[in-house]
Amino acid sequence: MAEFILEARDVFFDYPDGTSALKGVSLGIEKGKKVAVLGPNGAGKSTLFLHFNGVYRPKSGKVFFSGSEVRYNHSSMMALRKNVGIVFQDPDAQLFSASVYQEISFGPLNLGLNEEQVKERVNRAMAATGITELGEKPTHLLSYGEKKLVSIADILAMEPSVIICDEPAAWLDPGHTARVLELFDRINRNGTTVVMSTHDVDMAYSWSEYVYVMHGGKIAGEGTPQAVFQDDGLLKLAGLQKPLLVDLSEHMRRKGLLAENSGLPRSRSEFLQLLDSR
Amino acid sequence: MFNIDCYAYSNKLRSCHPGEKFVFAFLTMAICLAFPSRTASLAVIVLMAGAAILGAGIPWRVYIKLMSVPLSFLLAGAAAIAVSVSRGGGPVYGITIGVFTLGVSPRDFSTAADVLFKSLGSVSCLYFLSLTTPVTEIISVLKKMRIPALFIELMSLVYRFIFVMMETASRIYVAQSSRWGYASFKTSYRSLSRLLSAVFLRSYYRSQMTYTALVSRCYTGELNVIEPRYAASVKNIMLIVLIEILLLALTLYGGGVPVGGIHS
Repeated sequence: MAEFILEARDVFFDYPDGTSALKGVSLGIEKGKKVAVLGPNGAGKSTLFLHFNGVYRPKSGKVFFSGSEVRYNHSSMMALRKNVGIVFQDPDAQLFSASVYQEISFGPLNLGLNEEQVKERVNRAMAATGITELGEKPTHLLSYGEKKLVSIADILAMEPSVIICDEPAAWLDPGHTARVLELFDRINRNGTTVVMSTHDVDMAYSWSEYVYVMHGGKIAGEGTPQAVFQDDGLLKLAGLQKPLLVDLSEHMRRKGLLAENSGLPRSRSEFLQLLDSR
Repeated sequence: MFNIDCYAYSNKLRSCHPGEKFVFAFLTMAICLAFPSRTASLAVIVLMAGAAILGAGIPWRVYIKLMSVPLSFLLAGAAAIAVSVSRGGGPVYGITIGVFTLGVSPRDFSTAADVLFKSLGSVSCLYFLSLTTPVTEIISVLKKMRIPALFIELMSLVYRFIFVMMETASRIYVAQSSRWGYASFKTSYRSLSRLLSAVFLRSYYRSQMTYTALVSRCYTGELNVIEPRYAASVKNIMLIVLIEILLLALTLYGGGVPVGGIHS
């Protein structure tokens, strides 16, 4: 059995106003993987994420980190939040400081590191996200894309073993989106598990190694991107479109333009290769 | 206000130690306030204008514009002090209606001028500080002065979220005006009230989000951040001391006596 770094078992959660956001969610995030969570607005993605670092506590059910059950006392919470970092969707809500450098230093300082270590981590996180030159700038003079990168650097500086990113591509221009994805790939190669929620099926299909589909507070389906995006029933239920590459490949198979047994291409170059190899 | 903020981050004195600028501004202001000497006030106005325009490289048009903001208030205030109504007697220049004279006595005029120049002098000290020193650095100076953490944290959060709220408000304003929300006096009135309540609600919602985001970064009640380090410059400190001594000498030579002393 694969090693789950994060796991939810039959988690139920209600908001104080009575809305039940999670209705028995069970899922496991494999260590070192790139995982995408898809689903319409209000499916419970963000609520689930906030369970993974203990901000929300399940009404019933259990959450596990690295195989051990999450406990809700102070020291366990600190240990969990050190290991599971969440990048929030709206950088303007996450960034609390007017100085980029001070903003990024907040997380590592809370981990009880000394000033030298914190500075080293801040500098490393800024270098990794390519925002070193923004250190002297005030937060409010940054562009949206730059703010997003700062909010990722916030979490990177804490060096968590899992990074959860809530709709990283929302409102980003294609240039910044590519930069963020490339950054996630790099972080992932260094052993960090990366989880993201997104509405962009093409991005989820090309980027992720495993996909969860949420709908109405439950897990509606899961699997490799190839499996999930060929499951028409699941896509229809969750209101998701088929990624263009999957759609085209399936169509061309039916027309006999691609071999039935050819694998699904994950990227534009794979698709062209497949066409050329015929 | 947003202009001031931009200059604070990009002026020529940006890299100077914020403590030096802080001390310079407040010492000068103290001298300006403590001595009832018009020479001192005028000297401070000239000194600070020089420091801001020549030292920090603030365009003189911008500086004049900024100074004219308090000037209009101050002129109105000074006029109220200068003009008085008296009933006969006294050297009053003005118009006489019956037994009453509406006018200006030299003594009142002199007081009004003193107040005007003194206020302008103090305001220019504050302008110098806010044009050359970003709020984040002023906050870190206050922190070094052991101002309570609660005050410091509130100040930095307020500063950060002023900009977020302004952006929210301007987005709502654009959305409203694109639907004729400000077409007439009546609709403007209604739109503005809705804008205010929307901004309030959103601030509340966003504060919850910010709190959640802080908590997930191990927030336990203290907003600790790394303070930037600035090298103190001996040259600057000597310069400040020299300027303040000269200012003090000029003030005393110009006949100023500290407040509480003998009034002329």
